[in-house]
Amino acid sequence: MGWQAVEGSFRDPSGFVYTRDGTLYRQVNSSFREPFEAFLASGLYDELATEGLLVPHRSVGLELSASPEAYAVLQPDRVGFISYPYEWSFGQLQDAAALTLEIQRRALARGFTLRDSSAYNVQFQGGRPLFIDTLSFAPLEEGKAWPAYKQFCQHFLLPLMLMSSRDIRFGQLLRSYIDGIPLDLGSALLPRRTWARLSTLLHIHLHAWALGRYSDTAVGSATKGRSMSRQGLLTLVKNLGDATRRLSWRASGTEWADYVDDNNYTAAASQNKRNLVIGYLRRASPRTVWDLGANTGEYSRAAREVAPQVISFDVDPAAVERNHRRVRAEGETGILPLLLDLTNPSPAQGWAGRERLSVEDRGPADALLALALIHHLAIGHNLPLEQIARYLSRIGRRLVIEFVPKSDSQVKRLLLSRPDIFPHYTKDGFEQAFARYFTVESVSPIEGSDRWLYAMSSRGNGG
Amino acid sequence: MYIDPTTGSLVLQFVAAGVLSILAMASRAREALKSFFKLLVPRRGRWAGKP
Repeated sequence: MGWQAVEGSFRDPSGFVYTRDGTLYRQVNSSFREPFEAFLASGLYDELATEGLLVPHRSVGLELSASPEAYAVLQPDRVGFISYPYEWSFGQLQDAAALTLEIQRRALARGFTLRDSSAYNVQFQGGRPLFIDTLSFAPLEEGKAWPAYKQFCQHFLLPLMLMSSRDIRFGQLLRSYIDGIPLDLGSALLPRRTWARLSTLLHIHLHAWALGRYSDTAVGSATKGRSMSRQGLLTLVKNLGDATRRLSWRASGTEWADYVDDNNYTAAASQNKRNLVIGYLRRASPRTVWDLGANTGEYSRAAREVAPQVISFDVDPAAVERNHRRVRAEGETGILPLLLDLTNPSPAQGWAGRERLSVEDRGPADALLALALIHHLAIGHNLPLEQIARYLSRIGRRLVIEFVPKSDSQVKRLLLSRPDIFPHYTKDGFEQAFARYFTVESVSPIEGSDRWLYAMSSRGNGG
Repeated sequence: MYIDPTTGSLVLQFVAAGVLSILAMASRAREALKSFFKLLVPRRGRWAGKP
């Protein structure tokens, strides 16, 4: 066969994405020839790609197609790391929503419309959202409503409203509902005061009611031949944009958001640790670094001095949000902040358990940073050191890890309210557990602290 | 169209677009009226011949 389908690309019959010899291609099927040619001829593709809103592509020969239905084959620029909406912070989801609506606005101005508005059509590159589905565009049929309106509300507006007016953790509902949070569920979860807000009343509460009311009614008899003007569509898109933009969330007050300003390092210890980390990474010269427990990304930025791509994972939504805001504000490239609970990492899921990749499937990284993390996993979550070592050896080829002993004030804090049931949590126990899956390349004490920094390489036997 | 827009969502979309368009028109009309009356009725200072 020689090609391999990208698992999440099968719902749209107009084409699909696949790889051949490690290169990414998108096939456009003959059935979509006319809309696609019209899209290219309209200038919309050029406008969006030039302005960095849509992934650029180049056309390649049909000999690279994956099936006989091919009319054209595109080679899109590759996105560094595929991430999913349930891994984004509030601001990232908001930015992705704004991009989708801006693209729909520009499409309408040129007589086109987005055929879908899935949050999975957006990826992040250099802190900015990028639309990646080149086949989402079709000529606007005058009088027709926007078919992706409900999808936009479920993928973007409702999750943002829940996160903003209820609890930031409601963003994790996107992990269970990969086609967006059901509107009736969201309507029930939103505070009563949201009924008094016109945009929420229309797009969520009444929308949820209408879905139930007309569930057994054919479109023709329900809409009675009504038509939608282009101005009506633009007004709707503008209101969705205003409603999305008005939502806010203050990224503070969570457990880890202020950690960088509230840890037990002296300035000298911090500098020493930073130098050691950069020194280790320079020797490894990785292309990709995953910073696990990155907080607001201080060491991700140190890693970025060495590696072209750093994924800055943290469990805390406020830390990820602050990290994202900094990346965006400073125009930093090569750093992607993402939400990740390492004790329950994003699984492979969706159709056949393969539509969305697990974190592990998207690795291994060339190098992992696990700084000030081990005590939270081993003591805070009762994870045996040996199991931590095994998992890390599966997701990274090299590892820079900090061992935080029981004498450290942060570990003492973890043991304040519980008995110490961790007799193996010692420097020797740590080295023994990790030696099974890693070769230790170097060990250094971190000056001004009781902590140790290790550089290791995976033995590749983590399974 | 490959996703199901669902009947209820289409109905609601017509209603929402209608309501929002009327509100947008009303807002524009209000602004136009405000501008008109501003032109028609000079400020108090001008009545008194002040700059």
